[in-house]
Amino acid sequence: MTLSTSSGGPDAASARAAAVSITVRTRPRRWFRSQAARRLGFGYLLLAPAVLYVLLLVGVPFLFSIYLAMSDATVGDTNASFIGLENFRAAFESDVFYIALRNSVLFTVVAAIFKGLLGTTLAFLLLRPFWGRKVIRGLVVIPFTLPISISVLGWKWMYDSQFSVINWFLSQIGIIGRYGSADWPIWLGQPLLALSACIAVNVWRNFPFSAIVLLAGFTSVPTEILDAARVDGTSFVQRFRHVVVPMIAPILLIGLLFDTVFTLSDLGVVYLLTQGGPANATKTLPVLAYQVGIQAGALGRGAAIALFLFPLLLPLMILLLRNLKRREY
Amino acid sequence: MASPRTRRQKEVRRHLFLYGALTPYVVLAIFPIYWMAITALKQDPDLYRMDQFPLWFHLAPTGKNFTYLFSHTHYGAWIVNTLVIAIWVAVITLLTAGPAGYALARLRIPGSENLGISVFMTYLVPAIILFLPLSRVVALLGLQDSWWALVLVYPTITIPFCTWLLMGFFKTVPMEMEEAARVDGCGYLGALIRVVLPVSIPGILTAVIFAFTLSMQDFLYGLAFVAPGDQKPVTVGVPTELIRGDVYYWGSLMAAALMVGLPVAILYNFFLDRFIQGITGGVGK
Repeated sequence: MTLSTSSGGPDAASARAAAVSITVRTRPRRWFRSQAARRLGFGYLLLAPAVLYVLLLVGVPFLFSIYLAMSDATVGDTNASFIGLENFRAAFESDVFYIALRNSVLFTVVAAIFKGLLGTTLAFLLLRPFWGRKVIRGLVVIPFTLPISISVLGWKWMYDSQFSVINWFLSQIGIIGRYGSADWPIWLGQPLLALSACIAVNVWRNFPFSAIVLLAGFTSVPTEILDAARVDGTSFVQRFRHVVVPMIAPILLIGLLFDTVFTLSDLGVVYLLTQGGPANATKTLPVLAYQVGIQAGALGRGAAIALFLFPLLLPLMILLLRNLKRREY
Repeated sequence: MASPRTRRQKEVRRHLFLYGALTPYVVLAIFPIYWMAITALKQDPDLYRMDQFPLWFHLAPTGKNFTYLFSHTHYGAWIVNTLVIAIWVAVITLLTAGPAGYALARLRIPGSENLGISVFMTYLVPAIILFLPLSRVVALLGLQDSWWALVLVYPTITIPFCTWLLMGFFKTVPMEMEEAARVDGCGYLGALIRVVLPVSIPGILTAVIFAFTLSMQDFLYGLAFVAPGDQKPVTVGVPTELIRGDVYYWGSLMAAALMVGLPVAILYNFFLDRFIQGITGGVGK
């Protein structure tokens, strides 16, 4: 389908050339009056606003960010000069950058493992119909549908240094002592706890997404195929491994990639919980880019740091692209 | 005689197992929201104490935290901002993504599949890479410090997604009606307006909902582009303006968060399957 239509371009062009050469003598209907031309003209007209919007406000800014990253632009000053790879070199020479890079990767990987575990088990539980399934499913996905800055506020209150409801529970069941004792955790104040706390919010917010994507995958496997496999005398494990997994792999991959892209580039959770602290323990690349670019006003430096996300994201995007192309719609 | 009973017992047992196994997930998902709700409804002396069971009221519930928001903060203005932004974003998204989705699905444009995928891929270019150059664009257009900046940039999130969504949607609309209309003398535009548009209302509605919910998920653009207190959308105003210094007014904070968060969450909830369908490419209907 794609092949035949894409080869239509040159064909149409040659047809137009032929039409033009004949026009002089016989005056047939001009090409641009033809059915196909009207259709294409109309098509491109309809397509233009969306494509232009995206080109002007995503494409151009993206290229502009590469330029910014190679300039000494600041927020107040409009005259920026080209300084080559200086910003990147500066990033590589600062310790904070490495800490942010490490935190970003650690955050994404650890969160993905937990989201995978929770999401998979939840999807299995919700797979077969039962009484009240819709209601439970609706309740369980609420973390994902709540606006992110709103839910992070709730968590910030749950992580409160004194009135943390989590600590109240832990204290009640005797895992930690009373308020003021040495083992009373200050969730957002201790480096390792703070990073775990941020990861927990990301996991809480996105595990329903993993589950729903998996469910969509499971339900897309036609029962006929499973029945056929069952008739052939396969075990559940065999069916799962050789029928279900290959069939849902593309969907799984797409879900995973989406989640990774959004987790890796998310600012809200860490920014609202800890601002990257204590002592950079939760600083991720997005937080660093925001602080350097907007708060410190060094647009060029900030852009360079944000661009470091791109090489991390690019392989994922290419994988996704190939996946989307391979499936017939 | 015995078999229906055992079958029934089996069903009951299966349900009990599922409810038992699902309870931790539901608690995990819902508890923070319950905690927010009860915080919003508590009086301060009841909230900041550690000697009593915190998950229920010990003094009468109060609506003071809610009324405070409207009388002492820009909360009302933020809600209006958010709604007006959402309407503009929805209009821009429909006027651009609607036609584009239709063209890609129906008008046999060369390479339309690849074009559609390319537009969709821009959905994945993260805001964190774009916000610094966009801040220059916003300043250039003189939109900094007003919510118009967000009207400008939010469509960069919604257009790619909704184009893709509507492209899938228009592919499911039966082709014959449109061709019949064209044979009957409607032009392409006539067929689009008279035949395709009316049957596309559900798809268009879905796109409007996503224009709304996806722009509500943003935090970065609102934080970076809109500084004046009364210009912010709710999702940015609540976490940045209601916290004064290191003092947190948790009751009113939670009230502010939930009053906006819950309606959005519930609305989004109904359309979540379409969202998942959209990003996984129309499978699992």
